[in-house]
Amino acid sequence: MAVYKRGYQRYEGGRTSHWNRILVMPRFSWQRLMGMKVTIVVLAVSMVWPLMCAAFIYVANHAELWQGLGGGGLSNFLSIDGRFFEVFMNAQAVFATILAAIAGPGLIAPDLANNALPLYFSRPLTRSDYILSRLIVLLGMLSLVTLAPALLLFVMQVGLAGWDWLAGHWIYAWGVFGGFALWIALVSVVAMACSAYVKWRVIAGALVLGFFTVLSGAASMINAVFRVDWGRAINPAMAMNQIWRTMMAMEPLDGPTAVECAVVMCSMGVVLLLALSRKLRPVEVVK
Amino acid sequence: MAAVIEIDQLSVTLGRREVLHSISCRLGASGEGKAIGLLGPNGAGKSTLIQTLLGFHQPSSGRASILGLDCHKQSREVKERIGYMPETDSFIANMTAVAFLRLMGEISGLPVEAALEKAHEVLFHVGLGEARYRAIGTYSLGMKQMAKLAQAIIHGPELVILDEPTNGLDPAARKRMLKLIREMKEDHKMNVILCSHLLRDVEETCDEVVILNEGLVVHQCDLEAERRMNRRFVELEVQGDDTRLGPALAGLGASGVCEGLGRWRIVLPAEIEIGALWQVAAGQRLLVRKLTHRRDTLEEIFLKAVGHLRATPGEAGTVGAEVATHGGV
Repeated sequence: MAVYKRGYQRYEGGRTSHWNRILVMPRFSWQRLMGMKVTIVVLAVSMVWPLMCAAFIYVANHAELWQGLGGGGLSNFLSIDGRFFEVFMNAQAVFATILAAIAGPGLIAPDLANNALPLYFSRPLTRSDYILSRLIVLLGMLSLVTLAPALLLFVMQVGLAGWDWLAGHWIYAWGVFGGFALWIALVSVVAMACSAYVKWRVIAGALVLGFFTVLSGAASMINAVFRVDWGRAINPAMAMNQIWRTMMAMEPLDGPTAVECAVVMCSMGVVLLLALSRKLRPVEVVK
Repeated sequence: MAAVIEIDQLSVTLGRREVLHSISCRLGASGEGKAIGLLGPNGAGKSTLIQTLLGFHQPSSGRASILGLDCHKQSREVKERIGYMPETDSFIANMTAVAFLRLMGEISGLPVEAALEKAHEVLFHVGLGEARYRAIGTYSLGMKQMAKLAQAIIHGPELVILDEPTNGLDPAARKRMLKLIREMKEDHKMNVILCSHLLRDVEETCDEVVILNEGLVVHQCDLEAERRMNRRFVELEVQGDDTRLGPALAGLGASGVCEGLGRWRIVLPAEIEIGALWQVAAGQRLLVRKLTHRRDTLEEIFLKAVGHLRATPGEAGTVGAEVATHGGV
């Protein structure tokens, strides 16, 4: 019978699991994000650099193509090592940040602007579930421009250079995947916190980018004013770069160590999560 | 059978202010398909009570349970069995009504296909069938209210909590909303908690009423029982010297209070017919200008409970000392 003829009947069937319900919101958000042209454009542009890196890997693994072109200098340049992955990661990290600034504000800000939180929290969803479901959207989206291309490059390199290369350079895999995981986690939390505090999407997006640029400027200012180098620890890009280099067993940069940078970044993440959790309440209590 | 709502010495403090002061009540104990009205003046603690039942606020002491489940220790189980329609606009603006309802259904635990089917079904039920593919942000206020009701019942909850459901509705939409609420309890056997400041809405739909004032339960009653009792109330308006009408009524076994200008409020004992009043008036040489069966309306119950109106004549200890002061809600 047609729905409009049947009339309303109470639902008496089975219910889905708790995890299934948590994954409902990411599914809807993904559908919406993938329907946005700007997301598709950024995703497409962010694939240009991995394609160039893939070409680089191909060339580096086909010595016959460039044997006659130069000597040892070119040979050193065309090597797949920590430096190669560091450059790849730096570029993709920028795209991840831009994508977070575009996708992040659309996740929480509309719910706050339209007062949708009571609808979510009157259902069997906790605040942690809500944050997790929103985090899943961003982590998935940012993985498309970080972890996914990294995996493709690794598969390509292993395919061309053989398993022996992987056995000898597994530390790069650890550095790239672990490093990217840390970066997208930080960027996601920043994007969500900005989205929770600013209801306008454009401003929230600008705030995400501003967070990184302002901290970068503040770090440089601290270093210049106090003539120190520990200011780099509060510059997310620099701090994360130091962590990545250490994870890939590369020569560390001057300044705070990777452990110190990791502590600062973790503290920053915890503070942002606390701020986010504080903001996400179904009802505002005016004290 | 577990009561729909059971509150035991519940106190809730928001900031430094205690909003609910150790309240206790047991509601909806007489079976399924009951509607409970939650009344009170602004700032009485109605919304705080609802939000505490939904787990939005932590009680500072005491406990509350819904359908036999503790609201805080078994919060997830409770929320699976209730639907909530908030007072303020709550929706996702860019979504179509169908997508919004489907999302809400799926979060409530409906499988994907069932959620989609129920979304269509419930939108037709609330009268939004033709507008179901429009973004909710484009809806009128009345349509948004209906969409909020739809999201509250899509998963077939045992208890639906409605916070001011008729706010902003025109008379026709209000009538439709009240009809839907009555259908929910009568046809679909859902329990309903209706929080409203519109006493007529509560009177038309509810079986029980709880009145809150300044964070305390000041009155709780079974409306049907009150209606039965109130058949004995009479309003009389006479012309002439009515100074001896009071003792004459007392002689009849009735109690009455003069409200001035010949207006009387009288409570007749069950065994006395209304015709006896004509005889008393004739005996006093009074001209009866008006004689009506006066129902003790919910408005009066409410005004008495919150202290704007003193007790009805005939109630213990108040005969002869009655003064009506008409206060606003």
